[in-house]
Amino acid sequence: MDLAFSPEERAFRDEVREFIATHLPPDVRRKVQAGDPLVKDDYARWHRILHERGWVAPGWPVEHDGTGWGPIERHIFLEEISYGWAPRLLPFGLHMVAPVIIEFGNDEQRARYLPKIHSGEEFWCQGYSEPGAGSDLASLQTSAVREGDEYVVNGTKTWITAAQWADWIFVLARTERAPKKQDGISFILVDMKTPGVTVRPIETIDGGREINEVHLENARVPVANRVGGEGEGWNIAKFLLEHERTGTAGIAGCRQQIEALHELLAHEKIDDRRLQERVAQVEIELEALAFTELRTLAAESAGKRPGPESSILKIKGTEIQQAISELALDALGPYAEPHLAKKYFNYRKTSIYAGSNEIQKNIIAKRILKL
Amino acid sequence: MDFTLSPEQLLIKDSVARFAAGEHAGRDHWPTFAELGWLAIGAPDDLGGFGGPLETLLLMEQFGRGLVVSPYVSQVVLAGTILRTTGNTELLGRLVEGEDRVAVAYEEPHARYDPARVATTAVRDGDDYVLTGTKVRVLDPATAKTLIVSARTGDEITLFALPSDAPNVVHERFAAEDGYDAGNVRLNGVRAGASSIVGQPGEGLAPLELGLDHATAALCAEGLGLMSTMLEATVEYTKQRQQFGVPIGSFQALQHRMAEMFIELELARSMAYLAAMTLGEERDPLARRRGISAAKVQVAKSGRFVGQNAIQLHGGIGMSEEYKVGHYFKRMTIVERLLGDADFHLARYLAARGVAAKTEVPAGVA
Repeated sequence: MDLAFSPEERAFRDEVREFIATHLPPDVRRKVQAGDPLVKDDYARWHRILHERGWVAPGWPVEHDGTGWGPIERHIFLEEISYGWAPRLLPFGLHMVAPVIIEFGNDEQRARYLPKIHSGEEFWCQGYSEPGAGSDLASLQTSAVREGDEYVVNGTKTWITAAQWADWIFVLARTERAPKKQDGISFILVDMKTPGVTVRPIETIDGGREINEVHLENARVPVANRVGGEGEGWNIAKFLLEHERTGTAGIAGCRQQIEALHELLAHEKIDDRRLQERVAQVEIELEALAFTELRTLAAESAGKRPGPESSILKIKGTEIQQAISELALDALGPYAEPHLAKKYFNYRKTSIYAGSNEIQKNIIAKRILKL
Repeated sequence: MDFTLSPEQLLIKDSVARFAAGEHAGRDHWPTFAELGWLAIGAPDDLGGFGGPLETLLLMEQFGRGLVVSPYVSQVVLAGTILRTTGNTELLGRLVEGEDRVAVAYEEPHARYDPARVATTAVRDGDDYVLTGTKVRVLDPATAKTLIVSARTGDEITLFALPSDAPNVVHERFAAEDGYDAGNVRLNGVRAGASSIVGQPGEGLAPLELGLDHATAALCAEGLGLMSTMLEATVEYTKQRQQFGVPIGSFQALQHRMAEMFIELELARSMAYLAAMTLGEERDPLARRRGISAAKVQVAKSGRFVGQNAIQLHGGIGMSEEYKVGHYFKRMTIVERLLGDADFHLARYLAARGVAAKTEVPAGVA
């Protein structure tokens, strides 16, 4: 039993750290460090830099220009991104639709879409949730009715991050009404410029506009844009859920936030014992979670498939993120720095998105405890 | 990075698991432990010792799983670590063979877990010392032939090894809730020769703290085993118990509670392992203190949550003395607080963090 990273892994960490320190645009670093919102160009610039280095697609197979890293290197890379105050690239193209196209798509689709996802030329967003279908995603109602070699798509997708920047959206839509709601769903790629596709921003309680509603009204989409077979959409969605479970805990980011919190307390000369104790408790829980993540990483490295244990990382990781944002606000009192309040308000989303924490508990109960 | 157990470690785990799953209640198993080599875990090779904190963890987790009541933590881990670090090979050798059994009396009234708060005095009288004071909550003194006692010599603390039945040593036993043997010890002018000093005069605190850290890590491991059994029993029970025509385990409120118990268990598991691994690199006392205290905070919190909810989800039978969950809960309740509760360790963690260097971003060694 050995906790240490190997010399090769340590050397890799140093290499990534050095690269980020010298190549991350300083203005982007400042924004990330200050917790200020990034604009599309910030992401685009960093994406291009990573693309040029060949590091933009850690999870892709090597034959599609993936980095060929194992789970530990991917983990180290993500940690260094956080420690170096670099932005995490939006996952929708790189880590969601691309793995789907690689796994379920055909050669034409791979040739058409993968290069521009890799280069960052095309941005993507995820069309899953609907006003009536959140946790119960399978109850989605967006329809894709076949007419010749086109689908006519109608419906509303909501809570879509970065739709305002996206060139494409991948949509789960019903191509058939079937007795079982999971059946009859297909996975369709839609050009955001398609007539009938409109984006409406949703203002969130932190004053931001990172999410949107996307309306599809008689949007005509080539059948060739369907990935996988008709009715295979639910399987693909499940594949994505399993696949996307990397780095959900955000441990390195939390470590950064705790450091920032310590600095805040020191800077403001806050020596309140009770507050210090609460911070210490969150720190301790963070270390427990970090080690838990390493254990799952080691298992994955030894060939075990990522599984429902990731629900632990999601639940606890988001609770800790929220706790840290709460402590910062508690430290400075009401009407404290606006960006601290905004962060606290914004972070209420973390226990809701990517599978609400209640759903995650259902998963643990069902798949680990077999209840 | 590798978390698999070696074949030797698996052997320990399996043999202890077999023992713990058998009929072990109500008897002293020391000769068996001696024979199986379990008293030698963590001792130096030249005394026939092997393994270290990780092997102790593997043993203690199984003891916890099977609710084995034994003086192992106090008489092997705590006492053994003190003897090992002070180079007391003679007494340690006899401990490992099972020929001498050693308990440690360090806590005092009003000290609230702090080993540095010692009012017991050891006053020089010729070549001897005379010890006067009261030690409370001494763990497992009844079976101990030797007591290691901390006392103040001037401004410093010195450890003395005394025969448990030396003149003027007065024992007050009490029955503990977890079936363990515990007691208070009064030292009413106990004479101890200079040769009874463990380690160096005036340098007793550091070995005592090291011993307490090792023992705390062992308790964390026991807690892990206790929690595992409580959770498993709870899941099993709720699958079988029917009310309103269905297993109560199908109710979402209970499912979520058990999911939360599982999460707490996994966090505690991580910290117990982290504690054992921290001890394996005991170079920096502050880092060690911080790691062990963090682990105890987590295990105490998780243990309380899992224990309380295990009783709760069993409903009425959780309250019955006849059913096993209550016994695990009682031991967990004690373990939470032994050698320092969560509050004590949180304060210790803060002190260690404040004095230690600022957290460094890991350079590749976790």
